[in-house]
Amino acid sequence: MKYCSKCTYPIVAVNLTMSDENVCSGCITHDEKLEIDWEAREEEFKGLLFQYKSKNDNNYDCIIPVSGGKDSHFQAWYIKNLGLNPLLVTYYTHNYSKTGEENLRNIGNSLGIDHYVYTPSRKVIAKMNKIGFEMTGDMSWHFHCGVWTVPFQVGEKFDIPLIIYGEHGFTDLAGQYSMDDKPEFTKRARHEDVLRGFTPEDFIGKEGLTRRDLLWTQYPSDNAIEQVGLRGIFMGNYIYWDANKHVKIAEENGFKGNPEAFERTYRTMSNVDDIHENGIKDYMKFIKFGYGRATDHTSKDIRLGVMSKEEGISNVKKYDHVKPKKSLDYFLNMVEMSEFEFDCIADKFRDPRVWWIEDGLWWKDVIWGGVMSYGKCFLSPDQQSKYKRNK
Amino acid sequence: MLKTRIIPVLLLKNGVLVRSRNFTLHQSTGNYIYQVERFSEWRADEIIYLDISRESSHDTDTGNSVIGSTSSNISKNSNKDNDIISVINQISKICRVPLTIGGGIRSIEDIRKRLAAGADKISINTIAIDNPSFIKESSREFGSQCIVVSIDVKKENGTWMVYKNFGKNSTNFTIDEWIALVVSLGAGEILLQSIDQDGRGNGYDLELVKHVEKMVEIPIVVLGGVGDFEHLLDGHKMNRDVALAAGNIFHFTERSIVNAKKFLLKSGVNVRV
Repeated sequence: MKYCSKCTYPIVAVNLTMSDENVCSGCITHDEKLEIDWEAREEEFKGLLFQYKSKNDNNYDCIIPVSGGKDSHFQAWYIKNLGLNPLLVTYYTHNYSKTGEENLRNIGNSLGIDHYVYTPSRKVIAKMNKIGFEMTGDMSWHFHCGVWTVPFQVGEKFDIPLIIYGEHGFTDLAGQYSMDDKPEFTKRARHEDVLRGFTPEDFIGKEGLTRRDLLWTQYPSDNAIEQVGLRGIFMGNYIYWDANKHVKIAEENGFKGNPEAFERTYRTMSNVDDIHENGIKDYMKFIKFGYGRATDHTSKDIRLGVMSKEEGISNVKKYDHVKPKKSLDYFLNMVEMSEFEFDCIADKFRDPRVWWIEDGLWWKDVIWGGVMSYGKCFLSPDQQSKYKRNK
Repeated sequence: MLKTRIIPVLLLKNGVLVRSRNFTLHQSTGNYIYQVERFSEWRADEIIYLDISRESSHDTDTGNSVIGSTSSNISKNSNKDNDIISVINQISKICRVPLTIGGGIRSIEDIRKRLAAGADKISINTIAIDNPSFIKESSREFGSQCIVVSIDVKKENGTWMVYKNFGKNSTNFTIDEWIALVVSLGAGEILLQSIDQDGRGNGYDLELVKHVEKMVEIPIVVLGGVGDFEHLLDGHKMNRDVALAAGNIFHFTERSIVNAKKFLLKSGVNVRV
């Protein structure tokens, strides 16, 4: 496996690429941020926002999709302070931690902003968790779908064209695009990057799910997008995204970090809301692609210059493979599945570019050099064939 | 008066579409089929689809040449579907506008296979430089309307020099010499790309666009540098006869081509909307 010469990403990381000098696109994009005239970008952003300001105050000016985290707090705070009247929109995942729930309810209350929380049926969501895991290897598929659909539905219904997300995640982590690209949200990105190539229709008929259970998954049509002028933009393209600064602003407005350390990362201020975000959803990333949240976080911190590469690697070594007990139990309980069944299904999603089987164990290359085994293989002999390597 | 064509260029590398910068850094912009469907829906006048994969196959064990794997789709094999013929078969089914295919063409047979799979035109580059008579041969075989010669140029000491092999190797041709030659050999169209401007997003090389004005009687498509819809207009103002192509920019926003055309129409450019 090839690793970035600067951070801790492997070349198989999602939407990442490497230069001929073995520097990953995430690091290249990060360096671009240092060259940008952020004041000019901020002015451009403000111009864009005010272009969408409602006439005569008879509607909201924009929508901010929020999870309740530090970035949500920062976005709401920033836009409210410009004198605009945003509407917060949340797709409620049914996986909130106690602190996450408090944070979610805090934003609107502390900043004085209306908040539209859409809560799909928990019964349906339990089924979506199960099918999502079995079919896509991601129990949080419904979460991605809701977060990237419901705000657009609200925008269509209430005629609010502008929807403001935070960072462009794949550009920030993996350098999917360059900073000058200012990517906006598209149906293509929704279908491929967010929904992993699956559609809501793939879920209909499974576990008894019907079309009417999944109304919240239906993205506005091209005609509706045209008519309302729906436009999903990313604030991170215009405002320098400084997580530490955002935590401070968020805390001043009542946000709380996770009270205890996470099982899979050293950061306590990130991914606080949904318990699977730093839990089994992320564990599945390790199962699939051989890296996890600690790789994401250390790569960010190395780029920011607050962590050395050695420290980064030791965190990757410590956290990336950890099976998160708490989130796993929550999931197994919700979908009535045994841990054995979970492991059998999970193994089917291992990427043969990363993993191979030897002596009944899973092996992969590791960033600190050499190879390591990561536990027992649960696949049938048939399923194992594509993971055998010729020495 | 003919309408000005707006042409998105899609780059295929190791099974995914990419954005490109200076012909070297390639970042993933997704699935090789879906964007063709979108661009077709967005009323692109044509689509140019170039296979820029460096290797003819790739090693799935080491993942060394893999770029931008996005899918956790269990039913999808992580092997690259690198067979360009199968790719053309798939995209030509959903593409409702003329489709130009380029990349890796080495023989008349290569062209025949691509046309049979659904390509309308073929873009050739390195082979034309290595063996200029190939232009003549292929346009005689398939008709010159079918043969697009793609020309990658880099400015050296005030002259645009022609490059080959993904812009890696220089040739001894100046742009004027090479264009005169390919036209005399029967090329039907020229796709002119500035290596210097590729992926920078600060506009076409306008001097280059101006330079080719009135040079030839065959259509010229200019490419490289568009980072803003204004840049398309700048290109048009500089030379009203060229078709305007761009790669990266059409990936970044919803209904990008529709919006680009609306903007151009409002600015007085005669485009098909």
